[in-house]
Amino acid sequence: MALYPTYPLLTERLRLRPFTRGDVDAVFAYRQREDVARYLFGAALSREECALAVQQRINQTTLDKEGDKVVLAMELGQTSQLIGEVSLIWRSLESEQGEVGWILHPDYHGHGYATEAAGVILNLAFGEAQLHRVVARCAAENGPSFRLMERLGMRREAHFRDHSITKGVWDEEFIYAILRDEWLNRQSQSPTSG
Amino acid sequence: MTSLSLPLQTDRLILRTFERTDASDLCAYHALPSMQRYVFTRTRNEADVAEALQVLRGHVSLQRPGDTLTLAMVRKGDKKVIGHVSLNWQDATSGQGEVRFCINPSFSGQGYTAEALSAMFDLAFDQFRIHRLFVRCDGRNHHSIKLMQKLGLRLEAHYREHALFQGEWDEELHFAILDREWNRSSKVKELPLRRQVA
Repeated sequence: MALYPTYPLLTERLRLRPFTRGDVDAVFAYRQREDVARYLFGAALSREECALAVQQRINQTTLDKEGDKVVLAMELGQTSQLIGEVSLIWRSLESEQGEVGWILHPDYHGHGYATEAAGVILNLAFGEAQLHRVVARCAAENGPSFRLMERLGMRREAHFRDHSITKGVWDEEFIYAILRDEWLNRQSQSPTSG
Repeated sequence: MTSLSLPLQTDRLILRTFERTDASDLCAYHALPSMQRYVFTRTRNEADVAEALQVLRGHVSLQRPGDTLTLAMVRKGDKKVIGHVSLNWQDATSGQGEVRFCINPSFSGQGYTAEALSAMFDLAFDQFRIHRLFVRCDGRNHHSIKLMQKLGLRLEAHYREHALFQGEWDEELHFAILDREWNRSSKVKELPLRRQVA
């Protein structure tokens, strides 16, 4: 079990590729926004922090061992505009668990880009990486995010109330999950999706 | 945190920390296959139970996050240990605690576990200022599920195949209750009966 994809990964409208040093401004464009940071664990990022984040992401391109993370830049195929990122974390070796995540520039919400990118990531997770179950989590008030999870066929497995304090506020968190068989069944039923 | 005053008393039980002499009572239920099916630390024989007892005897107070308090459920009449309840303090900032419990099947179905858990919840919320208590159980464990619902816990999570448990894909449920939810119910219960006022 491991993941060494050949980049870029192409979808109908998107190109998923590793980050490069030139991506700092494009990442800053969405990570500086309060409406983006609101649902992430940290605060909005400064340009310096974005440079550091991009620096980390440059090497996050393969899954070699438990805990590794793949983070890919999401680019529009036509214009090469960087509009966000998708990630896959290898959570457990023994029980073959993974976690997906995404951040999308608000200007590009509502076009199904994140769904398209997340579909590619799930294909990798259940294909080459051979994971058994993949989860995604979000704040309960983040409707666009959990509706995306539902579009992907993920089931809401957990609804935690007050189970931690994030940025000084009691959280309310959803965890969604999908099993390998469920994903593969969906793919065979609608070969054009994802 | 004020000092802990043990043992606790409920209607029919004394809740106290484990003692060296509890080995045979503990063994009577902890080594049973029906118990082993749902526990994280397995004890197959007397030697395993003796080791487990050593661990349980160390669970005497909550000083820092990560600590566990385990109380034996002792029947008032015959002083027999019929089960135990434990509280694990997981996080100080967000006041999270996990409760676990076992009861000897010979004594189940009589409300002893509910009685002990109620006392443990009172202790967690009042004494240890826990904000949220949760209980995990196997999806097949109907007795625990019913008990959680009876005590007013909400089902917060239903994980399918999120880990291997005893060599098989698991189905794990999380039940939880917040301090404000629990306080409300206990206050209602504690209201004294209104006497006839002339």
